Amino acid sequence: MTMIGMSELEANLAALTARFDAAVANASDGRALDEVRVAFLGRSGEVTGVRRGIGNLPPAERPSAGKVINAAVEAMEAKLTEAAAGIDRAALERSLGDTIDVTFPGPPATIGALHPVRQIGIDVARYFTRHGFAVVLGPEIETDANNFDALNIPPDHPAREGLDSFYLRPDLLLRTHTSPMQVRSMRQHGPPIAIIVPGKAYRRDAVDARHLYMFHQVEGLMVGRGIHFGHLKGMLVGMCRELFGPSADVRFRPSFFPFTEPSAEIDVKCPACEGRGGECRTCGGSGWIEIGGSGMVHPNVLRSVGYDPDDVSGWAFGCGLERIAMKRYDIDDIRAFVENQPSFAEGLS
Amino acid sequence: MKVPIAWLRDYVALPEDNDEIVARLTALGFPVDEVIERPQLTNVVAGRIAKVAPHPNADRLVLCTIDTGESEQLHIATAATNVAEGQIVPVARIGAQLAGGLTIAPRKMRGVDSQGMLCSAEELGLPGEWFEDGIMQLDYAMDPGTDVVERFRLTDPVLEVDVTPNRPDALSMIGLARELAASFGTELHEPGMLVKYEDGPEDARVTIETLDCKRFVFQRIHGLRVRPAHAWMRVRLALAGQRPINNVVDVSNFVMLEMGQPLHFFDFEKVAGGHLIVRDARDGESFTTLDDQDRTLDSRMIVIADEEGPTSLAGIMGGLRSEVSETTTDVLVEAANWTGPRIRRASLALKLRTEASGRFEKSLPLALADIGAARAARLLEQEGGGVRMPRSGGRGVPDPTPVKLRAGEVERLLGFAVSDDEIERGLTALGFGVRRTDDGFSVTAPYWRNDIAMAADLVEEIARVVGYDRVQAETPTVAPQDLESAEFDRETQLATTMAGLGYTEAISLSLQPAAVANAWRSNGIAVDDVVEIVNPLSEDQRFMRFSLAPALLEFAARDRAVRPYRAFELGHVFTDARPDPHETVQLTALHAGGESAFGRLKSDVLALVRRVTGAGAHVERGTFPSLHPGKTAALRVGERIVGYVGVVDPRLAHVYDVADTTALATLFVEAFPPRSVPHYVAPSKFPPLDRDLAVVVPLDVLAGDLVDAAKSEPLVRSATVFDEYRGPQVGEGKKSLALRIVLQSSDATLTDDDADAAMARIIATLRERFGAVPRGAASTA
Ligand SMILES: [Zn+2]
Repeated sequence: MTMIGMSELEANLAALTARFDAAVANASDGRALDEVRVAFLGRSGEVTGVRRGIGNLPPAERPSAGKVINAAVEAMEAKLTEAAAGIDRAALERSLGDTIDVTFPGPPATIGALHPVRQIGIDVARYFTRHGFAVVLGPEIETDANNFDALNIPPDHPAREGLDSFYLRPDLLLRTHTSPMQVRSMRQHGPPIAIIVPGKAYRRDAVDARHLYMFHQVEGLMVGRGIHFGHLKGMLVGMCRELFGPSADVRFRPSFFPFTEPSAEIDVKCPACEGRGGECRTCGGSGWIEIGGSGMVHPNVLRSVGYDPDDVSGWAFGCGLERIAMKRYDIDDIRAFVENQPSFAEGLS
Repeated sequence: MKVPIAWLRDYVALPEDNDEIVARLTALGFPVDEVIERPQLTNVVAGRIAKVAPHPNADRLVLCTIDTGESEQLHIATAATNVAEGQIVPVARIGAQLAGGLTIAPRKMRGVDSQGMLCSAEELGLPGEWFEDGIMQLDYAMDPGTDVVERFRLTDPVLEVDVTPNRPDALSMIGLARELAASFGTELHEPGMLVKYEDGPEDARVTIETLDCKRFVFQRIHGLRVRPAHAWMRVRLALAGQRPINNVVDVSNFVMLEMGQPLHFFDFEKVAGGHLIVRDARDGESFTTLDDQDRTLDSRMIVIADEEGPTSLAGIMGGLRSEVSETTTDVLVEAANWTGPRIRRASLALKLRTEASGRFEKSLPLALADIGAARAARLLEQEGGGVRMPRSGGRGVPDPTPVKLRAGEVERLLGFAVSDDEIERGLTALGFGVRRTDDGFSVTAPYWRNDIAMAADLVEEIARVVGYDRVQAETPTVAPQDLESAEFDRETQLATTMAGLGYTEAISLSLQPAAVANAWRSNGIAVDDVVEIVNPLSEDQRFMRFSLAPALLEFAARDRAVRPYRAFELGHVFTDARPDPHETVQLTALHAGGESAFGRLKSDVLALVRRVTGAGAHVERGTFPSLHPGKTAALRVGERIVGYVGVVDPRLAHVYDVADTTALATLFVEAFPPRSVPHYVAPSKFPPLDRDLAVVVPLDVLAGDLVDAAKSEPLVRSATVFDEYRGPQVGEGKKSLALRIVLQSSDATLTDDDADAAMARIIATLRERFGAVPRGAASTA
């Protein structure tokens, strides 16, 4: 009787386990698995029914019957856990087959860009600040005295003709170059001094493909004991390599500016044909491109700011940023710089 | 200046390779802007017309027998009507190439063989309208058979040479030839100036009444016969772009181009009283220049008058009354020197610029007047004139002041050493007088250079002659200095941050028409007084921009296909803050299209201000011209308003034709405080609790004010408004704002009770300050 009682229980348990195994195998998702758990292991599930049968067994067999049931329950719990993990894994595997239309546009966005003139100004400044120069800015409305007189351009000097100015008053004008910042900076600071000045300048030119009455320059100035023309060339070669690449080269040509003596035009070796010229459109076949003027600061300018030209010497240069940009980016109409077509700055950034 | 290489070769032996000449001029500081190539010409010789006979078959043709120095004479038919026996003319032989690609082949003209062609000036590549109709006339002295192309070097290119204003002496063939001779180390052949003076009565008088006439050389030449000039002179002039007139007038133009000294020739018989008076013009005085224009003069100008009034406009143009004509026999040569600026002012006032005024205004060397007169006398003597002694008034030519060149000065400025011998050789080649001294050199400039005043000028001369290529690139070491780059750094950071946020930088022109400010004002938008240009090039450029917004609004309207459109400009704007104009730096940004343009732009400029100043800006209501008065936020950092962001003023949206949702922001760059250094705050070790709170408030309560008030509770770590609701559930005149509040303590874990108590305090504050009524607090914890 007792043996029969115990074996009946074990037989019931075995049948139950077999049904459980079949149900687990059938369960295809988490919810079905939960239903299996409730049906077999829940408060009123099948295992509970078997457990109730313990009471009918002889007291001596009850502890071992309990152990047998607990072991079966543990095994079922383990199978459920394993089955659940299998279902999760299968779901992940399936999700790898999902696709989206990656070409479908996202929310509208803009790229954002610096104007090429600013970009070149920043590139030039980066080069000079790396060498210890300061970058200073100044006003666009200048006094006639700073723009001309202090730069050794007295009234009626023929050079004023090429620097035809917009006047606000007889003594105030829109600066025709960034050079008055040489005067302002040197009056504020004694030698040695090393600065560059990016900024706008204005000349009374009719607008066409090569002229704008408003343009940007970068001015450079270095004054101190023992500063010479070779130092100017060294810095300009470095600047042009920064702008046009490591093979860029610079040559000087004699010229005339009232505020420098000796004076030189700055030519950079054409980046398009690397100086070969010929049919090159960028340089017009000469192999060289003029990017600005330069020279040793005129003794009269040094005197006008209280420097002693016998003690210190220095150089200055001024380059047109649009002119550099036109060559760097192959732009043939200067008006593009102020038209601000949507493609302009973004296309060059 | 147009410089025929052929003409330069008259004074200096130059290489046949024209590129070498161009390169040398450029290296000397006289860049060649253009090389004007000449047509290919071959096989043209001088021929003497031995006989002119009628053509048997054609009335319009004649048959010429031509002697070209060969044993066989040529028979050439021509339709030209200006041929005559004895003339020397250019003859294109069979096989000749002429201008316009014409090639001469044997041919029959109306049944008669023609063995070549007689040439017009045009067929030799010269401007036909400047020469005689028909066949060009060469000099009788030219031997038949002379190669005309070779003699006149008709195929040498003409250079457009750029001469800097400090070198008026080089606005001449001799000036450039002199530079080339020094550079190539070859000899310069100066043109002849010796003449035989004849005696005669002193019947010309000149009175000088103005100090701006610095020198006035005058000389009578009589017994002239006016006719076409020699072919060589006409060809030289034409290649240089100067129209030949006659043998007398051409001499004055020739000497100006050759020597750089403008001359004026008076027909002496038309100088009333034989007396010239050099004086200031009188205000309102009128006068007819030789271009047949009546001009009203004033005291800025100088005239040369005779006893009947003005007869020449000094330094600019002669007068019609005393012009050299076909019947002139007796001329008075004027070679003067004027104060440059005086001529420049007069020329500007008359809007009359001539070859002469362009030279005089650069202040020519005094000695050039005497040289110009002498050269003219020589050329007119060759035309058969009798030459009287030159006389002069004004200042004498002073001896030049020697300039000291210290030893070592060249190396100090150029950075490379030039030997004393090299210095002496270079300066001497350029015409300078050089004397060695104990400590360097004492240098005297040649008469044609009045631009040499100091040692630096000599250093440039030495650099030019040894070549600027000798300058060696060397990177200098910059001494420490206390100059700052703060302004530039801030502008760079502003611009790069805006670009990073997706805005494209614009640069627009700073000058604009009156219409821009007028459009704002007439729509009720305040504009400060704008700055006016007194001498604009056009009305479109009369005023300086007072705001960066108009240009951005125009671009946004033009580029309406691009949405969202985001752009900014960083630049100077100007107002007339009497007595002085006021210039400030602004950054204006525009956002058009896309969802919530205002919200996006506001978030972006707040991010910008935070990044550049290191401090967050406080947002509060404000007003700013260009922005909608009820939809504008002021951005405050500390005590300073650093800018405004808002929806565009609808009246401007209408003017510029942009959507009325377009957002604009303007930042005052100079008002930005220096970047503050933020202090590190360690994150709390205790967990935060989130609470959402919806409150019903009157419509005019600002979200920002609610947030500020909520933040007054010490446990609030952050507070943001994330939703707004208006509608029947909250009633008329009210809105519901939803706040997310994060509570956190730095020294304890908050319990729900702590959080509830904090929320209760916040609700009480909001109720008290804004009449806020909670719509039911919900915890997400
Ligand atoms: Zn090139």
